[in-house]
Order: sequence, then C-alpha cells, then structure tokens
Amino acid sequence: MRKIETTLPTLLADIGTFYEARKWHFLSVNGIDLGEGKIELQWIFSRYGIKDEIVIYYALSDYTTPVPSVVSLIPSAFMGEREIVDMFGLTVEGALRGLYLDEDSLPHPLRGES
Amino acid sequence: MIRSMFEAFKNLFKPVHTVNYPATELVLPKGYRGLIEYDKEACIFCDKCEKVCPPGAILFYQPLEGEKEYRYNPWLCIYCGECVRACPKPQEALWQSETKQQSALKEDGANEGWFVWEAACKQSREDFKAAKIKNKSEESV
Amino acid sequence: MKKTIQIPLGSQHISLLEPIRFKFECENEKIIGVDADVGFVHRGVELACTRSFEFKQVGYVVARVCGLCAITHSLSYTLAVEKLLGYVANDRIKYLRMLMVELDRIHSHMLCLAHTAENAGFEALFMQIMADRELVMDLQEAISGNRVQFDFIAIGGVNRDLTPELSALIHKNLELLSDKIDTLLGLFDNNWSLSLKYKGVGVLTLDQAYTYNALGPLARAAGLATDVRVETSDFPYEALGYTMVLESTGDIHARNFVRLREILNSIAMCRNIVDNLPSGEIQEKTKGKPSGEAVVRVEAPRGELFYLVRGNGQNMLERVRIKTPTFSAIPAMMEVFKGSEYADAPAILASFDPCMSCTAK
Ligand code: SF4
Ligand code: SF4
Repeated sequence: MRKIETTLPTLLADIGTFYEARKWHFLSVNGIDLGEGKIELQWIFSRYGIKDEIVIYYALSDYTTPVPSVVSLIPSAFMGEREIVDMFGLTVEGALRGLYLDEDSLPHPLRGES
Repeated sequence: MIRSMFEAFKNLFKPVHTVNYPATELVLPKGYRGLIEYDKEACIFCDKCEKVCPPGAILFYQPLEGEKEYRYNPWLCIYCGECVRACPKPQEALWQSETKQQSALKEDGANEGWFVWEAACKQSREDFKAAKIKNKSEESV
Repeated sequence: MKKTIQIPLGSQHISLLEPIRFKFECENEKIIGVDADVGFVHRGVELACTRSFEFKQVGYVVARVCGLCAITHSLSYTLAVEKLLGYVANDRIKYLRMLMVELDRIHSHMLCLAHTAENAGFEALFMQIMADRELVMDLQEAISGNRVQFDFIAIGGVNRDLTPELSALIHKNLELLSDKIDTLLGLFDNNWSLSLKYKGVGVLTLDQAYTYNALGPLARAAGLATDVRVETSDFPYEALGYTMVLESTGDIHARNFVRLREILNSIAMCRNIVDNLPSGEIQEKTKGKPSGEAVVRVEAPRGELFYLVRGNGQNMLERVRIKTPTFSAIPAMMEVFKGSEYADAPAILASFDPCMSCTAK
C-alpha cells in the first residue's frame, strides 16, 4: 500500500497524470472523519495483475470546501462520489444526494459526533 | 432437443427433492449451532459472556444483595458461540446445545419484553454502584 | 415531439429478487438511457461498526451485510484487523478459511446461474440448479454449524475444525456436484432456446470493462484478466491449483461460462485443500488493540471486496470502509443496458448477479 498526498485543487491534475485505465483499477472514493470538522478523502487504486499493489491518493480537507469530481477521468467514480456526499454531507460537483439516504434520514451519518 | 424431452419425461417419475416439512423432521447435521444453555451452579459470575456477546443476548441482573440473575434472549442470539469460548468454565457453566430455537410468538415478548429487561439490568448496575459508593463513604465516616 | 418512453424495472418486479429500481429510457424496444436507484436496504453497517460494536464483535456484524457472501465479509474484516494486530495465521487456518470461501463461491455462482436461467424463461433449470446447490449448502452447514450465517472465522483463527467424517462428506458431495456441473456445461452451451437469450446479448466489451472498472466474473467474461486471488498474497491460491478462467465475448453466455468453469476450478481447489490440510492449531490468541490503517481485498463470488479499517489503539474502531463488488459493478451494468432490448433486461440483470444488500449495506 502506497499513500500519496495531494490537495483538492491539484487533485484532477495528479490523478490525470497517474491514472491509466488499462493499468489501474479504480476501487473507490473514501472519506475518514478526523474530528474537529476535518476529513481525510481518499481515492484508491489497485494495479491489474500485480500482487498487493494499492495506491491511495489522499487529501485533507474540511466539510465546507467543495470536492472536485473525478468522473471526467474515471467514469465509474460517480457511485463513490454520491456515497461520500450522502455519508459526510460534502459537496461534490455533479453528485446528487440520495444514493442511500432519504429526505428524512440523518443529514450526514458518518461525520464525527460534533 | 430430443434428449432434453426424454430427460423431461424421465423427471416425471423421479422422487421429489424437497422434504415434507413439518410432517417430516428436518435432519440437523452433527454439531449444529443451537441454543446456549447455562448452569447457575457452575457459574462464577465473571460477566465475560455478557461482555463479548455481539448482539447483547446475555444479560445479568445485579440485585443489591445476593447472586446475579442470568437472562438470555434466544431470539436475539446469533448462535456464534463467542460466549462459550470466553467462559472460563465452558461446558460446565455455559455450553452450546444442538437444539434449534422455535420462532417467537407475541406472548414471548422477544422484543418488548427484552427492552424492559435491558433497561432493568442497566438500572440495577447503576443502583448497585451507587449503593456501593454509599456503603464505602458510610464506612469511612 | 418526445420519442422515448420511460419504463421502470423494480423495485418490486417478478423477475427481480433484489430491491433495486431501474428507470429505462426506451426508444421503441431499445434502451437508450438508464438510471438506477440502489439504496432501498441501507442499514448503516459502517456506522454501527464504529459506534456500537467493539472490534472483536464487528466480525459478526459485517457478516450480516450479505447473506450469500457472509464468509467473505467476515474474512476480509478479520484479515484487516489481523494486519493491524500484526498477527499472521498459520497454514491450517488459512486453508480452512479458503475452503469455506471456495465453497461459498460455488453456491453463490450456482444461485446466479439458476436466476439467469429463470429470467431467461427456463424455470425447470432453475429448480434443478437450486436442488443441486443443496449439496454445497449441506456441506457448509455441516462444517460451520449453520446454513447461512456461518460465523466460522474469528480474529486469530477459525471457530471449528474439520473432522475426518467431514472430509469424507466433502469429497462425496463434491464428486456428485462435479458431474452435475459437467451436464450443466453441456446444457448451457447447446440448449437452443437458452442460446437465443444468452449469445450476443448484454455485451460488455473489453474497452468498456477497463473504462468502467468492471470486476469479478463480469470482467473476466469480457477478457479482462483480473482476479484478486492472484493480485493478493494473503492466501496460497496458486499452490492449490488456481487457474484463471477467461472468456472473450463478454455476453451473458460468457458470464455463465466463466461461472461454470470457476465452479469446477473451485471444486478442484476444495479437494486439494481437504487432501493437503496442514496440521496446526485452529485458533490462536491475539494480543493488543488495532492501531493504524489496513486495506484488504478478497475475491468474493461477485468480484472484489475491499475493506479499509483504521483503528487508534482502542476497542472502538475509527473507520470501517466496506466497498462491495456490486457497488463497483453498477456503472458497467448501466453501460451494458444501453443499446439492448428491454425484454432482455431481466436476463442481463440476473447475469450480473447483483447483490443489493451488499451495495446499500
Ligand atoms: S452465542 Fe453469540 S450471540 Fe448467542 S449469547 Fe453467545 S455470544 Fe451472544
Ligand atoms: S462467562 Fe461463564 S462463568 Fe462467567 S458469567 Fe458467563 S457463564 Fe458464568
């Protein structure tokens, strides 16, 4: 497992130079609540045909900054993005709320208890 | 095509695959994970089983005096056997039987009754703690 | 003038066993646009894992995400926690875990084949496959003590051992089963009415598979050589006779064939495991509390299952991220629907083997 730090403004450029559809399998977008209004966002990739090679791009952010969408590079990322929108109440460009949650559900279940 | 029609015709005379339940008993395999059984005599009230149980199907009621009371919810239990593995006296105080639990009826109070009991257990712990602290402070006075 | 009509499929539909809703935008019989709603059975398992249960109990919680691949969920979680605890299982434990996972794969693939047959209109074949599937279900029940929720894998080992009688039973049932799979192979290949519904229908091309990150049998049917079993080193799959099954056409027929041949491969592996079971303890003590971050990938019957677990040295974990196979297969699935006939939609859907309770967790 390799972790590479990136920032939200440079995310698209970083992933754009890194990602090749025939080499990397895009796993998912993930968020981890760090408490105090901070969140760690992760974009996880694995390599086809090579043992134990996982690359995680991560960026630290807070809940108010909009997250750029990687759908233009990785078309299948929209599911993961909709999920973090639901679970953390983030704003991701082009991703609607309501993949799992309904109108009357908790607003952002996986955010810290604050 | 002809072969499959022949097969289909043959299937008409084959015995059925299904079991005529409940007229015929289902055969449970040896070592089926069934209900948890308990023997008060052997138990040392260490509460280990209560702590490890994932759904919280074992609870002890703590009266102010005397022994704790064991209570088990067979409908909440997932029959994982963690409690038996945690018990310091497995097979004597706590063991897993091979009997299958029947479905709960309304009278069994699998949910409502259990919620009442859960609250009572929690309350009993707190009362016990409070009483203990009181006793201590009385002693030291 | 608007030329298209909208036809919904689900969330309650006779040919759908899963709570999923598709909205198809159709032009005559052709589907040109798809919209999917998958969140009907969201239960908040990820939240429960970090708020209500201690790390030793979470293994039993995540097993409840899905009834069919309960064993892969608890396996992935357990592996992740064992990585955090710095514990490496001995060979016997590894073999027993693999045995259960492979048996699980066999019965899950059979369920999928049965449903694909049913949705193509072949009800009798559905019944036949489901009846044969009992052979594997019985094995799993005998090994683990329960039919669906095995609760077989625990942190630091497995909960039950394999007795000689069980090994004999495994050999006997697998022998019976492999004959039946051979007949099924012939049937799926040669039956004329099935081939009408399967061959050239619901094609996922190799390019699409790469673009939409297809996985599991879906990708292998399109010729994308990916299998988590060869991409991880947690289990000695190569030593036990694993071969990758690849097809190239990417249609329903190819997916069925990937599944059928994987069943045969899994049967061979199960036999190898039972014959070469190393000796050793089946449960060992683990010490400490999980701290740090670990990722685990396990090949579930439907594709890759991914777990990310982060702990901070306490009983409660910080984050449990579950990424299930169907969740990642949905983009590819929606792509395949575009351009196919509406009447084929149920059969295509069944051939993806979707598991909604996994997806929505
Ligand atoms: S078997 Fe599992 S669920 Fe049932 S009481 Fe024991 S620990 Fe609890
Ligand atoms: S773990 Fe065993 S000895 Fe301890 S309280 Fe439970 S039944 Fe009694």
